[in-house]
Amino acid sequence: MSSSQLDLPQGTLDLLILRTLSLGPQHGWAISERVQQVSADMLRIQQGSLYPALHRLERKGWVTAKWGVSDNNRKAKYYELTRTGRKHLEAETESWRKLTSAVALVLESE
Amino acid sequence: MSILSDLRFRMRALLRRHAMEQELDDELRFHFDKEVEKHRAAGLTENEARRQARLAFGGQSQVAEDCREARGTGLLETVLQDIHYALRQMKKSPGFTATALLMLALGIGANAAIFSVVNAVLLRPLPYAGPSRLVSLSEGRPKAGIAGAGVSWSAFLAMQDHSRVFSAVAGLPIHALTLTGNGEPADVSTVAATPEFFSLLHAKALLGRTLSPEDGRDGATAVVVLSEHLWRSRFGADPQIAGRTIRLDQRAYTVAGVMPSSFQTPFVDQADQVWIPLAQDPLFSKWRTRPPATHWMLPVIARLRPAVSLDQARAELETISAALASHYPAEKGWQAAIEPLRQAIVGDARTPLLLLLGAVGVLLLIACANLASLLLTRATARAMEMAVRMSLGASRRRLARQLLTENAMLGLLGGAAGMAMAWGGVRVLASFLPPDLPQPHSVRVDGAVLVFALVLTLAASATFGLAPVLHAFRADLQANLKKGARAGDAETSRRARSVLAAGEMALAMVLLAGAGLLLRSFTRLESISPGFVTEHVVKANVSLPRFEYTKPEQWTAFMNELLTRLQAQPGLQDAAIVVPTPIADTAVTLPFSIVGSAPLPPGAADTADFVSASPRYFRAMGIALLRGRLFSRDDTASTPPVALISESLAKRYFPYENPLGRRMMFGFPPHGEVVREIVGVVGDIHDVSLAQKPGSMMYVPFAQAPFWGGDIVVRSRLSTQEVAAAIEAATHDIDADVPVTEIASLPEALQVSVAQPRFRTQLLGLFSVLALLLAAIGLYGVVSFSVAQRTREIGVRMALGATPASVRRLVIGESAGLVLWGLALGTPSALLLAHFLSAMLFGIGPADPLTFVGVALLLSLVALTAAWLPARRAAGVDPIQALRSE
Repeated sequence: MSSSQLDLPQGTLDLLILRTLSLGPQHGWAISERVQQVSADMLRIQQGSLYPALHRLERKGWVTAKWGVSDNNRKAKYYELTRTGRKHLEAETESWRKLTSAVALVLESE
Repeated sequence: MSILSDLRFRMRALLRRHAMEQELDDELRFHFDKEVEKHRAAGLTENEARRQARLAFGGQSQVAEDCREARGTGLLETVLQDIHYALRQMKKSPGFTATALLMLALGIGANAAIFSVVNAVLLRPLPYAGPSRLVSLSEGRPKAGIAGAGVSWSAFLAMQDHSRVFSAVAGLPIHALTLTGNGEPADVSTVAATPEFFSLLHAKALLGRTLSPEDGRDGATAVVVLSEHLWRSRFGADPQIAGRTIRLDQRAYTVAGVMPSSFQTPFVDQADQVWIPLAQDPLFSKWRTRPPATHWMLPVIARLRPAVSLDQARAELETISAALASHYPAEKGWQAAIEPLRQAIVGDARTPLLLLLGAVGVLLLIACANLASLLLTRATARAMEMAVRMSLGASRRRLARQLLTENAMLGLLGGAAGMAMAWGGVRVLASFLPPDLPQPHSVRVDGAVLVFALVLTLAASATFGLAPVLHAFRADLQANLKKGARAGDAETSRRARSVLAAGEMALAMVLLAGAGLLLRSFTRLESISPGFVTEHVVKANVSLPRFEYTKPEQWTAFMNELLTRLQAQPGLQDAAIVVPTPIADTAVTLPFSIVGSAPLPPGAADTADFVSASPRYFRAMGIALLRGRLFSRDDTASTPPVALISESLAKRYFPYENPLGRRMMFGFPPHGEVVREIVGVVGDIHDVSLAQKPGSMMYVPFAQAPFWGGDIVVRSRLSTQEVAAAIEAATHDIDADVPVTEIASLPEALQVSVAQPRFRTQLLGLFSVLALLLAAIGLYGVVSFSVAQRTREIGVRMALGATPASVRRLVIGESAGLVLWGLALGTPSALLLAHFLSAMLFGIGPADPLTFVGVALLLSLVALTAAWLPARRAAGVDPIQALRSE
C-alpha cells in the first residue's frame, strides 16, 4: 500500500467500473485488479465500495450480471455493460473530460 | 432507469431473497479466494496470504449489508421484518390481542353497519340520471299549517304548461290495483304515471318499452309496464311477455315492457309494482276531464333545466300559485313548494340516522381510548425492552416505526374483523329497519362503506397508536435501564390513562343519557291508550276491482253482504268496515263548515279527520258514545245524511250548546259539500299516531259515503288465523276475484306508528350499553394496573398499620375521583346532545332530571363495581412479600 494511492472523488467509481466493463464482461475481482494495474497502482477499489456499486449499477440497469466459469474453473459472477450503460458511459466520459480540462485550465492559469 | 424496471428489480430481489443472499455470499467468497491466490502467487505462505486478504477485505457482513442496501431491498425488508415482529408480539400476548381486536372490531363494525344505512338513505345518489336536478313539487297552505300535500290537478297542468324552469314535470299518483289471473288475486302497487314520467327520469326498460306520450292519449290501448320482480314472480320471467295482456281491476292491459329491478319509483319501496298511463287509471283518469275542485293529492316530480337554481324555480312557482288563485277560488291560500327529490324521499329519517352515526362514532372513540390505555400499559411494561434495543444502537426512528407497524397491524386486523362484523350486522340490521325508512333494499356493504371503514381504521390506528409512540420517544434511556419498568415515567403514563378513563366515562354518559331519554319517551309513547280497543281485533283489507264495481251502490251492496255474512257467524258479531283505519292508515283531513255559523275568511278553513264506518265499528273498536245515537242499518244512501263528531270537535266548536241536531257541510269526493246532521258525539281517539294528540274527527255511515275498498275490522275471541280465514272465505264466496290483503291483528298493524322510535331506541340503547361496558373495562384496566404498580407502596402502608379496609377505600376513592370527573365532563355534553334530540322526545323534556340522575347512578354503580375487583386485590396484598419483591 503506497502513499501515492489516491482517494476516488465522488461519482468516479461508477465511471471506472463502466469503463472497465466496456472492454468486455468481467467479474468483480478482475475489475478491481484491472483498475489498479491501468492506474499504475494509484487507484485501488476497496471491495467494500466495489460490490455495493456493482449491485447499484445492476439495479439501474446499466450492467447485467450472469454466472459464468472463471479461468480457474470456478463459478464467478460476470458483469456486462448494457446498451444504456454504454450510452451513460459515453456521456459521463465526455463530461469528465470537460470537467478535468476546465479544472486544469483554472489551476494552470497564471 | 425506468421506475418500472427498478420496481421489478426490487421485487425480484425481495422475492428471491434467499437465492440472492446465497449468490452474494458466493460472489464475495470468490473475490476473497482470488485475493488469497494472488498473494500466494506473490510468494506468501498460505496463512499470510489469507491474513492479507482478510485485511484488504474489511468486514464481510458490512459489505453484504451495503450490497443489500444498494439493491434497494432495505426498506421493504425492514417493513416485512416489522410486520413479522408485530405478528409475533401479537401471538405472544393473545389476551391483549383478543381484547384489542374485539374492541376495534366492535367499534369499526358498528360504524360501518350504521354507515351503510346512512349511505343508502342519505348519501348514495338517487338511482336516476342527473339526480341533483330532480325535485319534488307539492302544495301547502301555510296559514292553516298544511305543508307537503299533493298538487291539485289544475296546479299540475299550470306547472306543466307555464313554467320555464322545468324541462319536464310528471305526476305519479300511487295506489293499489287488483291483479287477477296467474294465481291468487293480489293487490299490486300501481303508479298511474303521466306520460313524461319515464323520460323525465331517463329510465330505460329491461324488456320491451316504457310508457310513451301516445299511451297517454284518449282512445289509446291500455298498456302496462311491469317491475322485474313481478315479472319473475308472477309471470315466470316470460321473455315473450311484451304484447301479452294481464288483468288489473278486471280490465285487460297490454304489457308494453319490463323495468329492471334497479329502477324504483320515487316514494315507492315495493318490489312488486306496475306502471300504467294515468289516462288508463280507473280512478285518476277522471281528473283529466273533470278536475276535482278541492283535491290536493297528486305527487309531482320535475327536472330542473340546467343552470336553474332552486330559488329561481321557487320564485316562478309563486307566480304560478298567484295566477291559479285568481282563476280558481279553491286554490286561494295554497302555495306551491319545491324541494330536492332526495330530501322529499328521506323526509324526517335524516336526524335519527345522523344521531345513530354520531353514537357509533362515540362508541369507536371509547374503544380507541381503551386501546390507547392498553397500549400505554404495555409500553410501560416494555420500557426495559425498548431501552435495551436503543442502547444496542436502534435509532428512535427505527423503534417508532416498529411501534407504528405494530399498531397499524392491530388496526388493520381489527378493521378486517370489523368489516366481517359489519357484513353480518347489516343483515341483522336490515331485518329490523323501520318499514317506513326509504330505500331499505339498497342498504348493503359496498365500495363506499369499505372506503369509510378503511379511513376509520387508519384514523383509529393513528388515534390509539400515537400515545405509546410519543411515550416511547420521551423515554429516558438511562432511567429505564436502571429502574426497568418499575417506575421511571410510569407516573406520567398513569396520569394519561386516568385522563383517558375519565374521558371514556364522560362519553359513555353522553350515550347513556341519550338512550335513557329515548327509552323514557318510548315507554311513555307505548303506554298511551289509543282511545280504542286493540286486543282481539283483526283487520283485513278488502278492495273491489274498480272496472267491474264502478258504482258506489255496488260498493255498499258488496260490503253490506260481506258484513251480514260475517256477523251471522258465531263469534264474529262485531264486524265492521272502516276507511281509513286509525293510525295504521294515513288520516284523511277534510275541510268542513257548520251550517248557521259565520263564514270564515277566504283561504281559511276548519278541518277535521274524516272517517267512513259501518254501524258496528264503534262497538268493535270500543269507542264510547257520549251523546245522541250511533249509526244504524237504517242510515242509507236514500235517508237524510247523518254524522257523528268526536268529543274534541264538539268541545271546540259547540262549547256552550248541544251539537245534536246541528248540521255540518263536508264530504269526500264525489260526495263533497253534503250537509249532514250531527246525531251523536263519540269519544276521542288517536287516529294519526300515538304521539299526536286526538283532534277533531267526523264520522259518516259507510252507506252514505261508500268506497271501493276498506278495512274489515272484527273483534272476536277467535284467533287471528280463524278470523282471517272467515273473512277470506266470506269474501271469496261473494266474488272469488276480490283480494283480501294486509291481514293482521290490530296491535300488529299499529306497530308502524312506533317503528321509527323503536328502531332508534333499540340501537341507541345497544350502543350505550356497549359504551358503558367498554368504559367499565377501561376503568378496570387503569385501576388494576395502578394497583399492580403500587404494590410496594401498599405494602409499606400496611406494614405501617393501614387496614385492608382503608387500602380498599384508597383505591375505590381514586376510582370515584375518575368517575366524578367523567360525570362532570359528561353531563354538560349530554345536555347538549339532549337538545339535539328534543324533536324525538315525547312527554319529557331534554333535561329530564330523572333520566340524568338515573344515568349518573347507573354509571357510578357500574364503574365502582369495575374498581371493586382491583381494590379487593390491593387489600389482599401481603406486606412482607410486597416489600421483598422490589
